[in-house]
Amino acid sequence: DNEREFIRNKVNRRKVSPTLISSIKDKIRADH
Amino acid sequence: MTLIRDRNIMLTKEERDRIFDEELMPHIDALYNFAYHHTLNEADANDLVQETYMKAYRFIDKYMVGTNAKAWLFTILKNAFINEYRKKAKRPHQVDLEEFTTYQDGEDTQLAGYVDMREELFDGLMGDEVTKAINTLPADFRTVILLCDVEGFTYEEISKITDIPIGTVRSRLHRARNMLKNVLQQYAESMGYKDKRTK
Repeated sequence: DNEREFIRNKVNRRKVSPTLISSIKDKIRADH
Repeated sequence: MTLIRDRNIMLTKEERDRIFDEELMPHIDALYNFAYHHTLNEADANDLVQETYMKAYRFIDKYMVGTNAKAWLFTILKNAFINEYRKKAKRPHQVDLEEFTTYQDGEDTQLAGYVDMREELFDGLMGDEVTKAINTLPADFRTVILLCDVEGFTYEEISKITDIPIGTVRSRLHRARNMLKNVLQQYAESMGYKDKRTK
């Protein structure tokens, strides 16, 4: 731990949908 | 080089937007994965990530440019998740009781017990099984293993994100890895992989 590879490499990594990114930016524009 | 800004100077709208886009948004996939492992469904994970970024933008003046943006965002997300669960605690039917089980963490004593897992046993497992196995761990243990083994945070960063002492991070991580090995071993054996060693 600098104070395993199987877990790091195999765990599913999802990508967020572009819709979520747009939604966050739209909401920020509306609120600020 | 670390750029430290004077906290008394308010950022302009352009500066806020630049920091948000360049320093905070690149971590959105990592945050989403962490959120998904906690909420276990897409809609709640999306809500949690959105709430995290809304809060981050609101408090962006508190963020020190050039410092650890990822750890800062994970801290916000973790707190948002806990607050959400506190709300749900008032509606008990929506809460998995296991999430509230308390554990005897122990403060960094010798790490007793060790699960020995042979490589060939887990080689046949796929990402879905690993993800499912992580999700079977109680929330506190799932959190440290995701932060350390998946996201690569240091013990000190994990301690700050989760607000627990470093010694507890260490012992929790040890137990979490042992639990995970046990679950993976069961999966592997159910798929026909056998540990041929005599115990």
